[in-house]
Amino acid sequence: MRMNILRSKNFSFLLIGWAIAMRGFPLMLGILANTTILQAQASNGGADVDKQTIQLLLRRIEQLEAADKQLQQRVAQLETAQHGITLEAAAEALAPASAGIEKSQHGLRLDSTSPPVALPSETRTAAQGEAAPSERVDDGKTLLNIRGFGDYGFGGSNQKGTTTAFSLGQVDFFISSNISERFRFVSDLVFEKGVGNAYEEDLERVLLEYRYSDYFKMAFGRDQTAIGYYNLAFRHSSWFQIPTGRPFLFRFEDEGGILPGHIVGASASGQIPTGKLGLHYIAEVGNGRAGAAGAAPVQNFVDDNTHKAVAVNIFARPDFLPGLQVGFSAYRDVLSPPNAAKIGETDLNTYIVLERSRFEWLNEALLIRHTPEGLPHTFNTSGFYTQISQRFGSYTPYFRYQYANAPNNEPVFFPIYQVSVGLQHGPSVGLRYDFSESVAAKLQYDYTYLRRQQTTTQPSISQLALQLSFAF
Amino acid sequence: MRHICAVLTSLAAALLFALPPQHKTVEAAPGSPGTRNDPRQALAIIVNRSNPIENLSLTDLRKIFLGERSRWPNGHRVTVTMMESGYAERDAVLRDIYRMTESGYRNHFLKGTYTGDIPVSPKTLSSPQILRKFIFNAPGAIGYLRASDVDATVKVIRIDGRFPSDLDYKLQIEGPAK
Repeated sequence: MRMNILRSKNFSFLLIGWAIAMRGFPLMLGILANTTILQAQASNGGADVDKQTIQLLLRRIEQLEAADKQLQQRVAQLETAQHGITLEAAAEALAPASAGIEKSQHGLRLDSTSPPVALPSETRTAAQGEAAPSERVDDGKTLLNIRGFGDYGFGGSNQKGTTTAFSLGQVDFFISSNISERFRFVSDLVFEKGVGNAYEEDLERVLLEYRYSDYFKMAFGRDQTAIGYYNLAFRHSSWFQIPTGRPFLFRFEDEGGILPGHIVGASASGQIPTGKLGLHYIAEVGNGRAGAAGAAPVQNFVDDNTHKAVAVNIFARPDFLPGLQVGFSAYRDVLSPPNAAKIGETDLNTYIVLERSRFEWLNEALLIRHTPEGLPHTFNTSGFYTQISQRFGSYTPYFRYQYANAPNNEPVFFPIYQVSVGLQHGPSVGLRYDFSESVAAKLQYDYTYLRRQQTTTQPSISQLALQLSFAF
Repeated sequence: MRHICAVLTSLAAALLFALPPQHKTVEAAPGSPGTRNDPRQALAIIVNRSNPIENLSLTDLRKIFLGERSRWPNGHRVTVTMMESGYAERDAVLRDIYRMTESGYRNHFLKGTYTGDIPVSPKTLSSPQILRKFIFNAPGAIGYLRASDVDATVKVIRIDGRFPSDLDYKLQIEGPAK
């Protein structure tokens, strides 16, 4: 009977009910006590407490709303900045922002204790450009970078018919723009001495560059011809040159130069994967220079023949001697003088250069071959220059010796370009003094032996020049 | 006794995991002091953690800093970062990597961008902290820090097979932290 009672459902319910009652009793008691206390508080000062709580909550809501507004503004700012931004700009703008940076007038201020926060992966990818479907341009900011180089001088020589004079040299506005990660626009807008005593502007370089990798870069437009070293290394800036002017062989066309200094066309350049040898190449094709006397030598819009000029420049920058560059270049073109036979031109050049931060030693040799069609004879003009300088503090003494020798009856230099070459050689000595990182003064003396000249019978010319050169 | 050991072990493990990883610092070079204010300390070359590069020769590092290499092997564009003038770290880089004076360095990049040899000049950042954060976020960035300023957000690469903590590591800072 007892066993029956114990096994019955009623007894189980009784036990469960007892357990609930025993465990729930203290809880019920607590709730009852709290309710009583709360009722007592409400009856005493409940109105004041509610008022204070509401005020606190309102203040908190206001703070949160202000913070939210700030965050929304920042997000909008970042979204604007992110549109078309490059990788590094994105990283710079967003990373500090996420790390609690404030922009100030003097740059960025950073809470150094805050941990760095990663950009979202899609932002980083787009910024890096690795998966970007197209090259994007940031319309929200100017993309032009402008640097300038200029010079101003005073000089004179003992050449008959000349006087001492002050002179404005070239003012070169170097304007570049990183259009996108791979495209770049480059130009040299140069103001220089023009016809007569006038000053005129000249777009000496206008290039659209596409850099695929270190091994392949293409450029389209007008550029310095890839002949030798000097033409590409110093371009139109007297600031980078230690002496006051260029060597005779590498003067520009409009300054009495004998080489085609500029070309309108296309070029490919880059490194050749040769390890420690550090080989580089430049291959160029373009209009070449005009063959008509008095015409603008650089053919910008039309070419006077269908034969295109071609230039190749191969050089090495070996690892074992930083600053050393050894190279070879070749240029081939056909000149078409009106009412005369075409003249083939081949320019061969070799150079060895050592450039360190305080020391510079430049050596170049050149052979210019002109072969008129129908004649068995080739006119060879040879030349070289060597230039050495060493900087001591702000002073840089330098020395240059140059030589050029053109044959009699040379068919191009004087007949077409009115440049008297003949035989000329001689030394130049000078001193450059750098007042600051951007302003320098140069004093140079040149002595040139002259033979077989078409324009003068003087056996030699001495010249003294003072130049102020600057970058801005 | 066993219980006490277990409790102590648990406490140590908890403390270890509780510490955020970015607070772990690279060990100081045995030959150089380890605190930030020590005047002589190793200069760590750092890259973004996603960069697969582990080791560079000093020659290659020089080429990268000179702007002669514009892409990493993984295709990312190289962005060289420099600290502003006045930092001993920058002086060490100019002396040991560029082998140039301050004005020579400026002239090099002015001329390089002018001639087209160098596509982009180094990015100058105003403090080691900003530089570290920049490199953390820019996959192609490379820069440098005093070894005691390095944390786990960036990757230290070996130079000629040596880490900054190695005795014969070549890049050393001579000057106190700013």
